[in-house]
Amino acid sequence: MSRPLSTLAWQVAIVAVLLALWQWAWSLKPYAPWAVPDLFDPYFVSRPSEIFEQFLRLSCLQPKPGELAMPGGTAFSACTARYENNLWFATFVTLRNTFFGFLTGVTSGVVLGLLLGRSPRLAEIASPFVTAVNSIPRIALAPIIILAFGIGDASKIATSWIVVVFLVFFNTFEGARSVDPDYVNASRLLGASEWQITRTVIIPSTMAWVFASLTPAVSFALIGVIVGEFIGAEFGIGRLIIESEARGEAAGMMVAVFVLMIVGIALSAGIQRMQSYLLRWQPRHQGR
Amino acid sequence: MLALAEPPAQAALAPVRVDVRGLSKSFALHGRRIDAVEDVSFTVRQGEFVSLLGPSGSGKSTVLNMIATLLAPTGGSILIDGKAVVPGRTTPQVGYVYQKDTLFPWRTVADNIGYGLELAGLSKAERHERVARAVARVGLTGFEAAYPASLSGGMRQRASLMRTLVREPEILLMDEPFGALDTHTKLDMHDVLLKIWEREKQTVLFVTHDLGEALTLSDRIILFSARPGRIKDCFEVPFPRPRDGVAMRETPEYAALFSRIWHALGEEFKKARKS
Repeated sequence: MSRPLSTLAWQVAIVAVLLALWQWAWSLKPYAPWAVPDLFDPYFVSRPSEIFEQFLRLSCLQPKPGELAMPGGTAFSACTARYENNLWFATFVTLRNTFFGFLTGVTSGVVLGLLLGRSPRLAEIASPFVTAVNSIPRIALAPIIILAFGIGDASKIATSWIVVVFLVFFNTFEGARSVDPDYVNASRLLGASEWQITRTVIIPSTMAWVFASLTPAVSFALIGVIVGEFIGAEFGIGRLIIESEARGEAAGMMVAVFVLMIVGIALSAGIQRMQSYLLRWQPRHQGR
Repeated sequence: MLALAEPPAQAALAPVRVDVRGLSKSFALHGRRIDAVEDVSFTVRQGEFVSLLGPSGSGKSTVLNMIATLLAPTGGSILIDGKAVVPGRTTPQVGYVYQKDTLFPWRTVADNIGYGLELAGLSKAERHERVARAVARVGLTGFEAAYPASLSGGMRQRASLMRTLVREPEILLMDEPFGALDTHTKLDMHDVLLKIWEREKQTVLFVTHDLGEALTLSDRIILFSARPGRIKDCFEVPFPRPRDGVAMRETPEYAALFSRIWHALGEEFKKARKS
C-alpha cells in the first residue's frame, strides 16, 4: 500500500469513528454514565442523522417529510423560491456580502498600505491613529455598524470590511516599506519616472505581501459577515444559526456550521490557486 | 596626481565624457564623521575603458554611485558631457550595472531585458526585436520566458547586463558586476563584455577589487588608496585589442604589469586591514 493511500485510510477511519460516536454514544449513557461525556448530548450537538435530515429540509431536497424533491422539479423550485428557511438563499446572501466585504477591504487596505508605506511623512502622521483604531477589537464595532447601516446587506459588508481592511493594510504597509531599494534604484537608472517605479516595482514587489494576507482576509471577511448577521439580519447563514438557537434546534445550527466549513474551504482553495498563478515567479510556486 | 589620472596621449583627442573634479564624500556614522572619498579627480574620454581598483572600503563604489546620481557628493563636482549631474536625477546617456542581482524576480528574462525599452514607450514589436537580439548576443536563447529565480548566477548577470545595454547607453558604469560569480563564470563574462565593448566602444567606468579583471578589461586603471579613498596611482594597460582574457594572462608583459600594480595594491590592502 502506498503511503498517501494509507494516510487516506487513516483519515477515513477517524471520520467514521467520530461520526459513529456522535451518532450512538449518547444512547449508551443510561448503561454507562461515567463513559459518555455530556459533550455528546444531542440537545447541544444534535446527531449526524438528524443533521442530515435537517440539511435535506433546509436545502429543499426534502421540503416535507418522506418526500424527496429533485433539483429542477416543481417542489424543489417552489421551496427554493422562498426566502425563509432556505439554505441556498442564506448561503448566497452570506457569500455575496463576504465577497463585497473582502473586495472593499482588500482594495482599500492595499491603497492605504501603499500610500502610507511609501510616504514616511504620512505614515508618521497616521501612526497614532492607526495604533488606536487597531487596538479596538473590530467585532466590538459590529453593533454600532448595524445601528448605523440597518439590518440589510450594507451593515454586513461594513462589518466585513472593517475586519479585513486592517489586516490587508498592515501587510501591504510592511510590504511597501520593505521593497528592496536596489530595485527602486535599478528602475530609476533605467529611466523610470516616480509613477513608473510605483507601477512596475513597488506594486509587484508588494503583491507577495498582499497575497500572504488574502487567505486570512477571506476568513476574516466571512467572520465579519456572520457576526453582523448574528446581531441583526433578515437572511444569511448567521441568521440561520441564531434562529435555530432560538428554537433550540441544534441540528439547524450544525447544518449552518457545516455549510460555513465548506464555504471556508472553497474560498481559501480559490485564493490559493489565484496566488500560485500570480506569484508564479517565486521559486516555491514554480513547477506547479 | 591629477596628471596621472588623465588619459593617454592617443586618446587625448576624444571628447571628455566623464569629468570628476575634487570629489569628496563623508558620512555620519554613530555620530562620527567618516571620510569615504577625499578629493578625487579624473576624466574619462569617449570610448575609454577605465577601472577603479582598490581594496573594499576605498570609496571606489561611492565614487561610482555619485556619478550615477545615487549619492550626493559632499564636495566637488561631476560633469557628464560637460553638464553637472544633479543627485537623484538620472542622466539618460548613462547605464548602470550592479554587483548584486537586481533583475526583477516577477518579470521573465525577456521582460526584464525589455524593461528600459518599455519605460521609454517603445512599441511592442520594436521591443521584441531588440530583446531577441540582446538575448541572442549573450547566449540566453531559450530562456526568454524563464523567471530569474530559475537561472544560474552567470545567466542572471548576463540578463542584467543586457537589461542595461539594450537601452544603448553611451556611458556605462559598472559596480563590481562580476564580483559574486565564480572564477570560471567570471572569465566567461569578461569575454562577453569585451566582445560587446570592442564593437560598440561605450565609455566604461568599471569598479573592481580584482586586479586580473582590471588588467583584462581596461585601457587604464585608477588605483584607490584605503579609506579615506584617494587616487593613489594610475596605470596604462597597453595590451593590444581585441583581447583574449585567458591568453593574455600568459604573456610576460601582463606578468610585469600585474606585479607592479600588485605591490602598490598590496600596501593598500594592508592599510585597509589595519583600520
